[in-house]
Amino acid sequence: MKRKAGRKAKAARAKRPVRARAAAKTKPENSIDAFVTASAQTLGLTLDPAWHDSIAFNLRLILRHAALVDEFVLPDDAEPAPVFHA
Amino acid sequence: MLETGAGDFAWDSATTIATAVTAGRVSATHIIEATLARIRERDPLLNSFTAVTEHRAIARARVLDEARARGEKLPPLAGVPFAVKNLFDVTGLPTLAGSKINRDLPPAARDAALIERLEAAGAILVGALNMGEYAYDFTGENIHDGPSRNPHDLNRMSGGSSGGSGSAVGGGLVPLALGSDTNGSIRVPSSLCGIFGLKPTYGRLTRARTFPFVASLDHLGPFARTTRDLALAYDAMQGFDADDPACADRAAEPVAPHLDKGAGGLRIAVAGGYFKGKTAEAVAAVDCVASALGANRDIDIPQAERARSAAFIITASEGASLHLDRLRTRAKDYDPAVRDRLIAGAMTQASLVVKAQKFRRWYREEVLKLFAEVDAILAPATPCTAPLIGQQTFMLDDVELPVRANLGLYTQPISFIGLPIVAVPVPLAPLPIAVQIIAAPWREDVALRIAHALEAQGVVAAPRPAL
Repeated sequence: MKRKAGRKAKAARAKRPVRARAAAKTKPENSIDAFVTASAQTLGLTLDPAWHDSIAFNLRLILRHAALVDEFVLPDDAEPAPVFHA
Repeated sequence: MLETGAGDFAWDSATTIATAVTAGRVSATHIIEATLARIRERDPLLNSFTAVTEHRAIARARVLDEARARGEKLPPLAGVPFAVKNLFDVTGLPTLAGSKINRDLPPAARDAALIERLEAAGAILVGALNMGEYAYDFTGENIHDGPSRNPHDLNRMSGGSSGGSGSAVGGGLVPLALGSDTNGSIRVPSSLCGIFGLKPTYGRLTRARTFPFVASLDHLGPFARTTRDLALAYDAMQGFDADDPACADRAAEPVAPHLDKGAGGLRIAVAGGYFKGKTAEAVAAVDCVASALGANRDIDIPQAERARSAAFIITASEGASLHLDRLRTRAKDYDPAVRDRLIAGAMTQASLVVKAQKFRRWYREEVLKLFAEVDAILAPATPCTAPLIGQQTFMLDDVELPVRANLGLYTQPISFIGLPIVAVPVPLAPLPIAVQIIAAPWREDVALRIAHALEAQGVVAAPRPAL
């Protein structure tokens, strides 16, 4: 009960979005390019160099959307939408 | 051979066809042969089918005719031809999901659950339909099979990703089709092709034996040219299925018996803010529907733009996870536009995706509060009428935006939390456009009652194209 009550109060405060945090601000363009290359390696993806710009474009687009979500303050006990049931 | 004078029932509803077959005014075999002839004649223009299940359909029709000849009572969709987006398993066919890669899969050993349920209700599968590759699409274009075309203007998009479903129903090839909707893929083709579409509550209809895209967002549903046909098909497909982990263990709640209750007494509002139409057509369509319903109240769906962004992230990431192995081994066999989005999705940090899922729960709780005040909310289905095939950008509010990513601008924030929606076509000239009727979870009956009342008033209708 306590956990639920606390969540409600925090959720009410969470209604007002705050400005983007420093960490969520746009990263330098070259860091995205480097990230694409490094991520491809760690994921085991072999990229044709001709695809790089399009992938980087799409990643920037996703990150722009992500920044909009990231700047919205949620309480620490916010549950993700899909919840596992044992 | 077609029965003399029986007509081809091309523009008749599923309800009319089933009634005629049940009464013995026409045989199921005649209906199916006429449908197959129509597909042969018109589909080279529409490009909506990727496979036609001719032998199976004729055999099934004969079984129904023999049952009737023996005096057996026929089921409610007796003799109704239907087709399915090619991400549904069809026995004997590889499940393409719009891709080149899946052509190498073995043929499906069993039909998708919803095909089995529709056929148990007497409907007859006539084929599989074109779609955007792996359902990551709002245009109806496909680089492997070519674009499915809009029946109202063959140079224009059908909408996606269930483009073939929109094209086949809107073009009079079949009265009923099935599609999937992850972010708008039933509602966008319904809008561009001028037909009715139902995206039920998340978990309402089983997805067993269909090719997935984004597990936490995928829905299946019907397309038709009348509300009653949507309701009949929907009723035939309801019910729990343990083969889909997301399918709700909930008793069927038939809606067809309630359609004639009308919209009287229902509290209906128009979505404001983010959902205000960005083109004259979208504004006109919503105004037309709102006026007919006497809906003069605006309501704000909080944080809708952020909800769309969260849906965007989850889609990219979950979709990428589904395809990661194929991206490692067969990346060159994807449509480049799909491949590059999926690869970018694979690179999206998990912390951002989980945050989007947390926001999703917050947003759901806020939107559900609105249904204490209203029974349904109206919003545009698409920002505009059908763009030209190949068109890359369009102007919305004087801003040039990519078509592919933005046709689902108004659909994404709603399916994001699994609400039931009926897309109703407003027959504007020269091209139709749809309005979303959004209801609370499990209240498909409310959205369908409103759609049926609008149809009875002549405000919404599936316009017959000049094919």
